[in-house]
Parts: sequence; C-alpha cells; structure tokens
Amino acid sequence: MSISVNGQSCVPPGFRFHPTEEELLSYYLRKKVACEKIDLDVIRDVDLNKLEPWDIQEKCRIGSTPQNDWYFFSHKDKKYPTGTRTNRATAAGFWKATGRDKVIYASFKRIGMRKTLVFYKGRAPHGQKSDWIMHEYRLEEHSDNSNSLSNISSAIGDSLTQEEGWVVCRVFKKKSLNKILDSSNNNYSSSFTTDPKSPLLHTNSESALDQIFQYMGRSCKQEREVMSTINTSKISSRYLRPIDTILGATANLHEHFLKLPALESPTTVTPISAGDYPSLLGTDHSCNSYHAEVVNMQPSPFHHDPGLSDWAALDRLVASHLNGDDANAFSFYPSATGRLLGGCSAGGEGEGDLWSFTQSAASSASDHVSHVSHASI
Amino acid sequence: MGEDAGAGNLPPGFRFFPSDEELVRHFLRQKASMLPCHPDIIPTLDLLHFDPWDFHCKALKGGKYWYFFSHRTENRATPNGYWKQVGVDEFVKDVGMKKTLVFYVGDASGGMKTNWIMHEFCLLDCEASSSSRSNGRKLSRKKGQAKAGAANYRWVVCRVCESGHSVQPCSQDEAMELSCLDEIFLSFDDYDEVSLPK
Repeated sequence: MSISVNGQSCVPPGFRFHPTEEELLSYYLRKKVACEKIDLDVIRDVDLNKLEPWDIQEKCRIGSTPQNDWYFFSHKDKKYPTGTRTNRATAAGFWKATGRDKVIYASFKRIGMRKTLVFYKGRAPHGQKSDWIMHEYRLEEHSDNSNSLSNISSAIGDSLTQEEGWVVCRVFKKKSLNKILDSSNNNYSSSFTTDPKSPLLHTNSESALDQIFQYMGRSCKQEREVMSTINTSKISSRYLRPIDTILGATANLHEHFLKLPALESPTTVTPISAGDYPSLLGTDHSCNSYHAEVVNMQPSPFHHDPGLSDWAALDRLVASHLNGDDANAFSFYPSATGRLLGGCSAGGEGEGDLWSFTQSAASSASDHVSHVSHASI
Repeated sequence: MGEDAGAGNLPPGFRFFPSDEELVRHFLRQKASMLPCHPDIIPTLDLLHFDPWDFHCKALKGGKYWYFFSHRTENRATPNGYWKQVGVDEFVKDVGMKKTLVFYVGDASGGMKTNWIMHEFCLLDCEASSSSRSNGRKLSRKKGQAKAGAANYRWVVCRVCESGHSVQPCSQDEAMELSCLDEIFLSFDDYDEVSLPK
C-alpha cells in the first residue's frame, strides 16, 4: 500500500506513521465508526480471521519505510451467534487476550480501552505462543465512576459492551525473551501431567520469573481442585488451613505436607497414633478420604520434632536471603534449612519451585541450596 | 517548530521519527555535502548557545525528540552547563558514528547530572570520498576528498530528549513495548491451558 501526499506517492524521508493512542482512537477509529471519510487510506480494513500475523506487514505497509508496527481496522465478530465472545481464530492459529484491558485517557477523559492479545499457532488449548502481539483499541466513553465494576468485567474477559463493532489494532513483534518462555512452556505442560518432579530438575535453565509463574500456575490448579473436592465431600472449610488447601489437593503430595509443622497449635484435636499414620502414605487415597483424615491428623508425629517446627529459623533464612546476605547465612541454620528444603523439594511441587526460584535469584547462594535440596531428595 | 513536524501536510499519526541510519544517510550527508535536503526541516543551531530546555520552538520536534544540525565541536559547554559523553561511540551502519551525551548543569568541576540525553551523529571520514563521488563532483580525486572530508567533519546532527531514568530510554518507543504487567499476564497465559480442568 502506498499513500499519496500532494501528488507524491510516498511519505517524506524520516517520517513514519507513529500515532499516539489518542490519535488512533479519537481520530481514526472515531471516523471509522461514524463512517466519515478519512483523507488518506493509512489504516486498512482487515478480516482478522483471514490474516496471519506474518502477512500483516505486507498488507498493512505504509509507504516504503521500514516498520516495526502495523495498523488495521477490524470488525469484531461473535464466536457464537448467541454468545458474547469474539472470534479471533485464523487458519494457522488464534489471538488470545491476555491481562486486563487498559483504559485510555485523553486529558483525563476516558476515550477508549486497549486489549492486549497474543498470537498462538495451532488450536486451543494446545496453541504454541508466538512473538506476535496485538493491541486492540475500542471506543468506550462511558463514565468510569464504577471502577470496580469495569475491572470485574474486563477481568472476566469480553464483557457485554465490547462484542461487536469496529476496533483499530496495532500489531508488533515482541522482542527477545520469548524463546526461553516457549521452551519452558513445553517442558512444563508435558511434565506437569506426567511427572510432577521433573520441573524442579530443569528449572535451572529457566528464568526466575518463569519459575514464579510456574509456581503460581500450579497453585491455582491445586486450589481449584481442592475447592471442588470440598464441595463434593462436604467438609467444612474451617478445618482446612491455607497450606492444606494448596498442598493437600493432589493425592501424591500429602505425604510431603505431613512433614511440615502445623502453623497453629493443635490443642483441640486428639493426636493420632504413629501406627495410624502410615495408612496415610498410601498413594491410592481418594481425595475425599484424604481430606476426611486431614481433619483428624493435624498433630502428626513429626510435629514434635524441634528441627522441623522451627518456622522462625525459616523466616530468618528467607529474610537474610531477601536482604542479599552472603551465602554463609545458610550455615547458621543448617538443620532447619536442610530439612525444610528437603521436605518441600522432594514433592517437586509448590514450595519446591519457590526454592528453586531463590536458587537462581541469588546466584551466590545457589550452589548451597541445591546441594542441600538434592541431597535430601 | 513547537508542534510535531509535518502535522500540516500529513494525516494525524505521522511524525518525524527517523532511524539512526536515515538521520545520517539522508539528512546529515546532504547537509555535509551542501546539497539540498528534502524535506528541509532540520534547523541548524549552535549547540554552544543553547541549554537543552531552549530547544523548544527552535529545534525540530518529532515525538518527544528534538533534532538539529550543529557544528562539530569538542567543547560542548552551554550557557548553563555542558554535555558529557557516556559510553563509547557506536557505528551507524557503515555511514556514521553515534555518541551519547548527558547534560550537566553547572561547570565542569562540579556539574549536576540531568535527564537530558543527546545522541550526536557524525559521518564516518571514509564517507567523504564516496559521497563526493556519488554526487558526481567533477573535482580531482585528491582535492575532492580533502574538501568533502573537511565539510563532513564540520557537521553533526543531534537528537535530544528528556528521559525519565536511565541513559538510553529514548531509543525505545514506549508504545511498542509491553508494560511489566503485560509481561506478567502474558506469562500467566502459558499456564491457562494446563490449569483449567477439562
């Protein structure tokens, strides 16, 4: 595509189409929606479902100057006739919204919203994330006095007010970083379902941020499972301490959980005998029976182990770590850290990742920690 | 020149936003060769006479940057401060060099660092012969080189901006970047598929 300025069919050297968000919304999109003529055909109409991101640069070229971003209008179509979701699938993949929509202001007045989307190759839920990012701008001039409400609706995804109509999009390619993310995704998604221990072993090659996300993602899943378990088994949630709800979800985790000291003093519950305890370690417990036993078993035999109940030591350890203290700080609490780390990392889940994150975050201390945790696996 | 250049002729959204190479190859080389520059929009200022906050309405504004030609000088003292180089010179393809400078208020003995950043571009010396040749000058080779070399040496093109924090934030365009929050949400996406129960 070329544009024509005063008879010359090019943009002068040094000039680029580099609109502000306000220009995109208040000039281009507003004119488009109002069917007003836009003097120069700078932003083209595009059928998003028929255009792969790598074809956009050809289709949305402006003049002959090199571009880093490309712009187009798109008309949003519903995914299902009766639904509220937008169809953003192409032949080769799909655009997936990420994060929360951002409000765009122009001199303190709300003029529109920006949605960020990522292109995935393939079909959900097995799409492979690409470096292509899209900012989709829509006009939305409603008052924003109900901030909490709009936050909720945008957090849910496509809210009722944004299904159809014209949007203006900016597509660009994200720089760097993604290669690492992609490789770790694949590792993660395959290993999560098959072998819960393996993520811990290859976390060394991953970025610290990645590991946080893995940890968070995992916790979410476990929480959801626990919630459904609670619903079906009708166990009162007041018996479940926070750590239970995270760690207690997966059956093969509970043995590690049992090694952790109780967070609160279990004065009201009758201790179970050591003889009863091994029955909990079987791997074929159903979640229901497991949770039933959680209620009864709080003061496990391990609770009286002074080394393991030393949460203060752990606190100090974390504090010293966060303060960037020397790796020698670990040597002050050898027994406590050794056992706590061992107990957590053997699970290869949850806390284990938190520790492997700290390994890479503080490189000076990393050897120390990994020796301890690996030795106890 | 207070407003963005070109706003009069071009539709909204177009602004002067040249790449480093464009700045050197198209604008500086023409200027140094004393050839007409199209569009002839970058003004010539004497760096020594202006503090960076004086560029407003004098230099060419494109986005958050100001552009101007200036005589090349090693003394970059201004009325109220001085420009000090940071880092090393970088090549701009095979046509020029780029210096990064920071503005200090006060005198050289104890200036205070500011957020004003300048990229100063000059032509590579070897460009002299090729540019004079490509411009079809009918001078003898030796004379042409000497003359063009002197001309090249005289001019630089500067791009100035006031930055928020670090030394080179100007080189990145905010609108093109993802915010920290975006990055975090992007990473959350990675785990959506596995964390949703089927």
